[in-house]
Amino acid sequence: MKLIITFLLSALFLFASDSNHLKVKILENILSEISINEPIKIWSDDVKILTEFKHSSKFKTTTKCGDANIIVLQRKKNLTPKCRRKHIFVLSYDLLSDIDNSFGALFWKKGRPNIIILQPRVKAQSIAVSKNLDPYLEEKIW
Amino acid sequence: MVNKKEVFLFLLLFSLGIFFIFIYLYIKQAEKDIFTKIEINRIEQISYLFQNIEKDIIDNNKIKNSKQLIKLLYNAKTRKKYEKYLSFIATPSIKYIYLLTKDNKGRFRFLLDASKIDKANFFEKFDVTNQKYKALYITKEAQIIRQEDMENLFLTYIYPIKVDEQIIAVLSVDITTKIKQTLIELTKPLETFFIILVIFVFLFVAMTIIQVFHYFITRKKIFTDPLTQLYNRNYLAEVSPMLKLENYSVAMLDLDKFKVINDTYGHKAGDFILAQSAQILKNSTRGSDILIRYGGEEFLLFIYKRDNDNNSTLKICERIRKNIDTNKFIYDYNEIQVQVSIGIHEHPHLEKNLNEAIKIADKMLYIAKTKGRNRVINYIDSKKDTHVKSNNLDFVKDAIDDNRVVCFYQPIYNYLDKTILKYEALVRIIDKHGEIISPIFLLEDLKHTNIHYKLTQRILFIIFEKFKNIDKHVGINLNFSDLINEDIEKTILDAFKKNPNLASRVTIEILESDEIKNIPLFKEKIELMHSYGAQVSIDDFGSGYSNFKTILDIEANFLKIDGSLIKNIDINEKDFKVVKSIIHFAKVANMKTIAEFVHSQEVYDKLLPLDLDYMQGYYIAEPSPTLLNVKDLF
Repeated sequence: MKLIITFLLSALFLFASDSNHLKVKILENILSEISINEPIKIWSDDVKILTEFKHSSKFKTTTKCGDANIIVLQRKKNLTPKCRRKHIFVLSYDLLSDIDNSFGALFWKKGRPNIIILQPRVKAQSIAVSKNLDPYLEEKIW
Repeated sequence: MVNKKEVFLFLLLFSLGIFFIFIYLYIKQAEKDIFTKIEINRIEQISYLFQNIEKDIIDNNKIKNSKQLIKLLYNAKTRKKYEKYLSFIATPSIKYIYLLTKDNKGRFRFLLDASKIDKANFFEKFDVTNQKYKALYITKEAQIIRQEDMENLFLTYIYPIKVDEQIIAVLSVDITTKIKQTLIELTKPLETFFIILVIFVFLFVAMTIIQVFHYFITRKKIFTDPLTQLYNRNYLAEVSPMLKLENYSVAMLDLDKFKVINDTYGHKAGDFILAQSAQILKNSTRGSDILIRYGGEEFLLFIYKRDNDNNSTLKICERIRKNIDTNKFIYDYNEIQVQVSIGIHEHPHLEKNLNEAIKIADKMLYIAKTKGRNRVINYIDSKKDTHVKSNNLDFVKDAIDDNRVVCFYQPIYNYLDKTILKYEALVRIIDKHGEIISPIFLLEDLKHTNIHYKLTQRILFIIFEKFKNIDKHVGINLNFSDLINEDIEKTILDAFKKNPNLASRVTIEILESDEIKNIPLFKEKIELMHSYGAQVSIDDFGSGYSNFKTILDIEANFLKIDGSLIKNIDINEKDFKVVKSIIHFAKVANMKTIAEFVHSQEVYDKLLPLDLDYMQGYYIAEPSPTLLNVKDLF
């Protein structure tokens, strides 16, 4: 799995300009490595990502934030109050600070894709994380 | 055959294609070289700057390890100071400049980031996947990472910050693709031009290949007769210019009474017989022979002559004849008897061209038909009996080549005033043993061959050379085919034009027995001779089948009575009467009469009372290589 993620990161690195499909594939791989004690159901404020998930992902999706248990968030303003307590995976480094219970992020830094999984939040939300995600685990936001 | 032009065009286009590909690759390589040079130049500059920064950070702060460096840069003020230094390097093409270090888990983290955009926080994790980072730690040398299509990055230069040969941090700079993009944009039109050019050239090459391929596919159809699967006349037209006739004999073959087969059994049966016969013909010949369906039931066969087998032509033709004759053709429960007649010309190269050779083979075929069909007639065989010293045309050809053709002259005598009117020029050939031969019988065989025309031209040359400067008259025998031959006409007219006094002393003796097929053309040529002042004589009158009206129309000056009517005139009263009538006709037509074959005093005396004008014959004088005088006569 580690290899797959590395490969996908490399591929995403190469095809960054047209990355939605690969972005979803990476997200799918990340989410496959976590466990929340119930089947994952995804909602995203990015319609393209949600559509991509719907067509290619093994995870269930929903168009209602309230029905989801994992939220892939692009913008903070799209997060409604009733969804704030759900497991949130953000698509920007800054959102990790802005949204207290966001447990991880996939974002671009210097043109390269980066993944961060925040260990304290994962623990707090009782999310089980596979060892394959160890290289991306962070204790805090810098 | 494929046109040479097409092959040339194909090779030219192919070479052009290769040339353009070479140019395209050359441009691409040049582009790469330019990038490499730019890259080296940039990196050299950055490398010097990095060395200075390294020195400044390490030496001024006495840094011994990465922990001390992290501790130093943990301070925001210090970070700001060094980020400011780093930002001095920044140019429009340098997008990101940052300092990384490895944490205890081996992950890269930002220590400094002088980038104006996408600035990282201190100690923020940075995921790198490129193997060059590993290589940097192994080699402890700076590395260049060529970025491909990544967020406008052209390359990344990573430089190790070392203390005691231990890498404590990595200075990194990301250079944008702007320069590369500019260069690509500059060379793009040229590249596109060459790509289009190469595409076009290869399209043309492909079209030429398709055409050639198409040609070979259709060639078989064009050159093959669908019924017999033999070559057709298109093929003959295609190969005839390339055929070396000296290597082949020509045979014309015709299925006997084929019309009867068609009429009796129907056209389908006819087609069946043709197809079957063609197969037998094919099986009876060799791979080196060329068999062509020439017409309906007529076939043309080129038989390859092998050096060690002189009789191959005849053998093959006989084999064909026998195979056809013995084959049982069964169509619709009917057994049909089929036979073939064959005419051969073994030496077609002796003729003026292939058509002439085919004509002769066709004549032989005609003879085979008239002699009862189902037989082979060879051109050489057909002449055997009439040859005096040689049985082939090579005899005359060699004589012309070896300059052994000469002229003898026989006086035409005016018995009334005892003078010589003129001399009749008679061709003679000196054989290889020095013997003088009259080719009179050979001439018939030479008729319509190229050698005949060559011989006539040679004789004309000899006669004109002899008579152009002496005040004597000469009679020259020509037949109708000579008269209408362009080369001979040119020879005569050139001599007349060069020697203005010559034409009036020349009499063209046209053989009355010669087949004059085109009367208007004949008259036209006679008028042409008259127009130069030459006289015309009708030779051998009474032996052929003259049209009296034509004789009158052409306004001949002389009428020479055929020797067959003269030679026995002293004993044959009928001949005497015929001769008398001819003389009367000539007088009425205003023509002078000449009696030839006056071989005895009896004949001479018998002719005296008739109102003849001139006499000629062995009694008066034999043909002589020199011009005889009156005193030499009788």
